[in-house]
Amino acid sequence: MASRDAGVSGTAAALETRKGASIHRPGQEELYILSNYGVPGVLWSPAGEMSAWTMGARSLDKRGSFFKLIDTIASEIGELKQEMVQTDLSLENGLGPSETHSMVRHQDSGRSEEKDVKPCPRDSGYDSLSNRLSVLDRLLHTHPVWLQLSLSEEEAAQVLRPQPPGIFLVRKSTKMQKKVLSLRLPCEFGAPLKEFTIRESTYTFSLEGSGISFADLFRLIAFYCISRDVLPFTLKLPYAIATAKTEAQLEELAQLGLNFWSSPADNNPPNPPPPHRPLCSDGAAPASRQLCLINGVHSIKTRTPSELECSQTNGALCFINPLFLKVHSQDLSGGPRRPCTRTPSANGTERPRSPPPRPPPPTINSLHASPQLSRTAAPASMPETATHHQHGNVALLGAKPTPVPPPRLKKQASFLEVEGSAKTLTGSRPRPEPAAGPAGSAGGARTAGEEEEEAAPGDCTRAQPAAASASSSRSPWCGGGRQRLSDMSLSTSSSDSLDLDRSMPLFGYEADTNSSLEDYEGESDQETMPPPIKSKKKRNSSFVLPRLVKSQLRKMSGVFSSFLTPEKRMVRRIAELARDKRTYFGCLVQDYVSFLQENKECHVSSTDLLQTIRQFMTQVKNYLSQSSELDPPIESLIPEDQIDVVLEKAMHKCILKPLKGHVEAMLKDFHVADGSWKQLKENLQLVRQRNPQELGVFAPTPDLVDVEKIKVKFMTMQKMYSPEKKVMLLLRVCKLIYTVMENNSGRMYGADDFLPVLTYVIAQCDMLELDTEVEYMMELLDPSLLHGEGGYYLTSTYGALSLIKNFQEEQAARLLSSEARDTLRQWHKRRTTNRTIPSVDDFQNYLRVAFQEVNSGCTGKTLLVRPYVTTEDVCQLCAEKFKVGDPEAYSLFLFVDETWQQLAEDTYPQKIKAELHSRPQPHVFHFVYKRIRRDPYGVIFQNGEEELTAS
Amino acid sequence: MMAIRELKVCLLGDTGVGKSSIVCRFVQDHFDHNISPTIGASFMTKTVPCGNELHKFLIWDTAGQERFHSLAPMYYRGSAAAVIVYDITKQDSFHTLKKWVKELKEHGPENIVMAIAGNKCDLSDIREVPLKDAREYAESIGAVVVETSAKNAINVEELFQGISRQIPPLDPHENGNNGTIKIGKPPSQAGRRCC
Repeated sequence: MASRDAGVSGTAAALETRKGASIHRPGQEELYILSNYGVPGVLWSPAGEMSAWTMGARSLDKRGSFFKLIDTIASEIGELKQEMVQTDLSLENGLGPSETHSMVRHQDSGRSEEKDVKPCPRDSGYDSLSNRLSVLDRLLHTHPVWLQLSLSEEEAAQVLRPQPPGIFLVRKSTKMQKKVLSLRLPCEFGAPLKEFTIRESTYTFSLEGSGISFADLFRLIAFYCISRDVLPFTLKLPYAIATAKTEAQLEELAQLGLNFWSSPADNNPPNPPPPHRPLCSDGAAPASRQLCLINGVHSIKTRTPSELECSQTNGALCFINPLFLKVHSQDLSGGPRRPCTRTPSANGTERPRSPPPRPPPPTINSLHASPQLSRTAAPASMPETATHHQHGNVALLGAKPTPVPPPRLKKQASFLEVEGSAKTLTGSRPRPEPAAGPAGSAGGARTAGEEEEEAAPGDCTRAQPAAASASSSRSPWCGGGRQRLSDMSLSTSSSDSLDLDRSMPLFGYEADTNSSLEDYEGESDQETMPPPIKSKKKRNSSFVLPRLVKSQLRKMSGVFSSFLTPEKRMVRRIAELARDKRTYFGCLVQDYVSFLQENKECHVSSTDLLQTIRQFMTQVKNYLSQSSELDPPIESLIPEDQIDVVLEKAMHKCILKPLKGHVEAMLKDFHVADGSWKQLKENLQLVRQRNPQELGVFAPTPDLVDVEKIKVKFMTMQKMYSPEKKVMLLLRVCKLIYTVMENNSGRMYGADDFLPVLTYVIAQCDMLELDTEVEYMMELLDPSLLHGEGGYYLTSTYGALSLIKNFQEEQAARLLSSEARDTLRQWHKRRTTNRTIPSVDDFQNYLRVAFQEVNSGCTGKTLLVRPYVTTEDVCQLCAEKFKVGDPEAYSLFLFVDETWQQLAEDTYPQKIKAELHSRPQPHVFHFVYKRIRRDPYGVIFQNGEEELTAS
Repeated sequence: MMAIRELKVCLLGDTGVGKSSIVCRFVQDHFDHNISPTIGASFMTKTVPCGNELHKFLIWDTAGQERFHSLAPMYYRGSAAAVIVYDITKQDSFHTLKKWVKELKEHGPENIVMAIAGNKCDLSDIREVPLKDAREYAESIGAVVVETSAKNAINVEELFQGISRQIPPLDPHENGNNGTIKIGKPPSQAGRRCC
């Protein structure tokens, strides 16, 4: 067998777990479960350290360099071996050795045994089939059945009453405005059902009263199907769902939605499995059965019976340790490094090896080892496969022409383990025991045979094509969502660790610094990735070529970053959706982006351009939060108060990112055309020559070195497409300025001192682009952030730039031109009205008109005047608003450059205003409604100017 | 359940009257290390309980110099409250205060809560503005008024408590929107009233 050429070495990944604050139950803390096919074993590591190992297969072929990395890892990990338990190698390889039964072995021995392994079918095909789908998979597929957010308490009671104890629903309580888990109780409990509040923190989901929290709702439910924790007993899946054998069946059930409960499909089991499955820490064996695991994930259905048998023997490795998960997610996130030194190093080395989980399209030359084998691909060719599982695969392959899917899973499992990410859940091994019933792998085992599931989380782009191409029963829709979920860890991360991963951009920017930069890198990394289909090919080829290992590393890091948080995964998922023109959302986004790029003429001003983009993003967000194109629904993955934040980030990624270059060019064109570019340039020059005191600065100012640092930050800012990240960099600039001002004096400087210094610094930086940068941020930033710190310093920066632009005329201590003030007001008005009514050009529809009366001086009103309203109409409006008794004696005048012009009846005041605004030099002008007869009160008007301009 | 309401508050007043000192005093006394501090004193935040709500003040300082006057609308736009500060030892600053009040009345947000702070009350022996004048003026415009000393931490808390009391309680139907974040225990739906 070809597979034999590859020596198999078992590599173990040691995963270090720390005790996590989030877990309060000692019993669960250190429980690791290895579940194998017939022989589950539980590993304890009293020290709190757990190790999972994966089998590494060494391939002798050209991919040697690859394996050097693995060897490195293996040696590093070797030190941790004592703690490690080896599962059956054969299991991992996809070979089912009967001996593996024995369970836990040392790695060393495992290796030799591996070779000896013979496939030995252990249980009946039926059993394995029925258990092939993990609980998490079942939950994911059937969320339309049990996730009924809109159900009332009464309706939920109605649905659950006929159900056996343990059956549950998740709905949203309108009273509490929270999600609740409605659980059917057995008769002896008195009440027919009980509701458990689901707590959503900023980062996690958990049951009220429990210390265990989860990254998403699915994981939470999956966990409680296995462990009761704060519940009276474990949750139970409806019989039909628990016993469905294929995803297609689950799909059918899901189609029923709420009707499932009243349909014949929801028949009860002849012998209902006991609802109680206490997870006892030392009772590893029973518990382990329920947690299923891993490995041979492929769908057995397409295989011949003999293949099935082989695959059944594959060992499953499962561990559930929230703490462990947490630690690893931190590492992966690239957030602050944790003290555990080994894990990170292992991660680093391992990365190149781990392939993106996506299955390649069937047509691709799978021979070269794309890490992801399509099922049809020959396993031997895959590098990854080779690494870990070649052995087993080959054996299988030799026997059958059909490709063996498991390799990919194995590899995945192995890399995951090494990474220590919670994802270990990857390969769900079919459980031999039907009795296990609802229990699946807690960790989100995958169903066998589904290529998509195997796909790595980051890589979702591949999933879809694969899904489409796949002949198997899997339904395309589930590809992205399911993958993502299956990749997710059953994480019970404590909020503190998550804080680091998910930071709020404007508050706590210090902590955010790392992550934001990472994001940025990750994003640029992503940019290099071609669209889905191409990317598959590229990836495959990159795997083949050693010289591409490095780039692969980079890509892998991108993949890993996707593990970080549900938030990032969701953003990625939406970004993928945006590229998929088969979805409505994808069409919407793609069409808009290309429309903007191709139609430069359609916007009259830079503000107009930015506003329509902002409006589009807001609308698309609304669409996404209501549409069903996101599956599973965003509410099940993201805590409610974070949904908007996540959607906003996704909008930046799928709309602003592709448009950034175009928008920047357009903004510059507009500014050059209207003369403001030149004006700013000249005035910057002028202001730079002033000394700080002339600008009103009476605090220490940055020296040249600091100014250089600030310029670097500004330049980084220019590279960002996300307005929030830009603002974050702006905040860092401001922070630096404060540091210089305070100069260890301990003195606190308020705006009286800060604004002049900011103005001085901006002038010293001499960056014309700042003007468009600020405009970009001001118009595109999420309106909810405008009142925060970011909004404050953005406002101050805009103010400083306005001062500079008007410096020439105003000189120090002069007022800004009314135009600048007008602009400021209009901006704020627009941005604040935007929050409720997204009306793009509200501000363009208003005209401020002064009313001048001989006796009463001057008063002003802002009137609604649309662009094509004539002066005649405006006069009528004024007569009404100012209550003029003899309108024919009045007319509308334009006061500009110290002169009065009566406007003809057929002119358009808004066009005149626009023309005045577009002049290179700002003009002070006013529309005044006054008596036609020339009168001497122009003087009065001038005195009244203060009032007008202040308005 | 406690709801956090974010309230934008802008600080107006002549330069040198101690606008930022008041805020620094307010924010830094009983400093809570759990809350990430802001990068500088121009923008500070502080959360205080008020009835069943938590009010998170987002305090926007403005530059008091005349040349920056024209930028003020951007700062006070959208504010729930304005703190207008004068120096009791400088009559001019009280005059400026009146100009700010007028501008806010004309162009500020509707229903903005105005609070007048006569700062430097520790220097009352050189006072130029009688407390009575300030009280009468405040009454005439329906503003909160208090004499403060940022230096000696007098009446600073009271100033902001006075603002809190003037903020209308949240409409129960809007819970969860408009920047309100729910925290803490499940709601007893009653009692969303503040004070």
